[in-house]
Amino acid sequence: MNAHLGAFARSCWFQYRAMFNWATPIGYLSYKLLQPVGQILFFTQLGIFAQGRSHALYFALGNAIQLTAINGVFGVVMTVANERQYGTLPLLLGAPQNRLVSFLGRATIHILDGISGVVVGLIIAVALYGLDLSHADIGGLAICIVLVSFATAGLGLMFGSVGLIMRDVMIVGNTVYYLMLVVCGVNIPVDRLPHWLQLVSYSIPMTRGIEAARLAVAGQSLERILPLLAGELAVGVLYAMVGYALLLLLENRARRGGLQEAY
Amino acid sequence: MSPLLRAGLRAFEVSLKNRVVSPWTYLNWIAFPLILASVGLFVFSHSSTPGHDAYAALGGGLIGFWTSAYLDGGNSIGSERWEGTLEALLAVPTPIWVVMVGKITAALLLGVISFIPALALAYLGFRIAPLQIDAGPFLVSFLVLTFSFFAIAMAFAPLFALWRWAFSLTNGFELGVYVLGGFMFPVDRLELWLQRAAWFVPPSWATRALYHAAGQAGRADYAGWWARSIALSLVCLLLSRLLFRLVEQNARRTGQLATA
Repeated sequence: MNAHLGAFARSCWFQYRAMFNWATPIGYLSYKLLQPVGQILFFTQLGIFAQGRSHALYFALGNAIQLTAINGVFGVVMTVANERQYGTLPLLLGAPQNRLVSFLGRATIHILDGISGVVVGLIIAVALYGLDLSHADIGGLAICIVLVSFATAGLGLMFGSVGLIMRDVMIVGNTVYYLMLVVCGVNIPVDRLPHWLQLVSYSIPMTRGIEAARLAVAGQSLERILPLLAGELAVGVLYAMVGYALLLLLENRARRGGLQEAY
Repeated sequence: MSPLLRAGLRAFEVSLKNRVVSPWTYLNWIAFPLILASVGLFVFSHSSTPGHDAYAALGGGLIGFWTSAYLDGGNSIGSERWEGTLEALLAVPTPIWVVMVGKITAALLLGVISFIPALALAYLGFRIAPLQIDAGPFLVSFLVLTFSFFAIAMAFAPLFALWRWAFSLTNGFELGVYVLGGFMFPVDRLELWLQRAAWFVPPSWATRALYHAAGQAGRADYAGWWARSIALSLVCLLLSRLLFRLVEQNARRTGQLATA
């Protein structure tokens, strides 16, 4: 057990370091500060222009929470899929390490970093648009942020596994990240979307989490948002499990055919 | 045909072919414009104030066009660096800026296609009424806007070769440029500090002219807007010239530009 925990901790740390090895502090800060500022400014100003200043906070809060997908989608997908791109996949598949430990280790620090991203986003939303958190259930909001980060990382794990058999998986990552801005209730209330798109909304992470976060900011109690949070957790776990199953399936095929990088 | 022109045309041709088979190009042409246009169209469709149709119809296309220019075009020098071909590019007798002119022009040409999916979504999906376009000023504004995109891409390109963090920085602030460029809403509706920042962004003046020619209300000052946009674009080209010289000097002195 201790050996697994040690391997898990090392795996988390090295994967995160490797991920940001290419980034200088300026590069890292640009993703942590410039992107949140740009995203919140763009969508909130769009909302103000189209619907008036009274709607600004809807856009500011939604985008602040969605920022966790920078880590959950981009970060996690790259951490898994880069094994193939940089030629380390055969080594990984040859290692005696527990696959589940290795797989989950890829998401852990991104979940923590994603939470910090949301906090930065909320500070920006408060500073630029006066997001009022005085009536918010802060505990409930904190749980929402943790669960949204977790569930989004689950989605990232699944697409990361897809990346093991696909060349340009970051195209999928980019598309998913931006689609979330449309379908997850970030900028458009889900009930205004066409019915078929609402089905998509509720079948991916973040939709319920953002809904819960909006309620928590409005002062609703934890009991009121609990069903939404349970749904968010379930969706995240489901995607992570599908991702893990896909990884095992591909590994089995690769072992039989020796084709780990030939897809 | 002069050797430089021939080299530029060749870079244009090869770049065009490379982009046609690159899935990233399709992300910029189709996915980004469609996704961001659909956000805009949904948001505008629940607006109580009229006069947003031009922004709803053209905004997604402008974003795709811009992304193609600076990401696909400007950053193509970054791709040379990552793929390890920048040294070879610097060693040939053709100046690197000539190659970049060809690459960025190809990106701009393909970037225009971004308007097709965004406009199709606006007209077919959201039933936006046809825009009342003043053809002459619209065409000139579009050309001025294209020139401003070209100039910024040329100014950014050497940055991607000089500093590893340049791409992270510009990519991180991509959505911020949509704000300052006035791509989906007018710059004069922004906070004063943002308006002042937008004064220094060449496309922001061209987009004012473009949207005005597409039926937006207000007093037109086409000549002033075009002049400001062109003047700022020329400053970008001057900056680009200096930075390209720095790239070539650094490459020859240190030989380290291709190390990513």
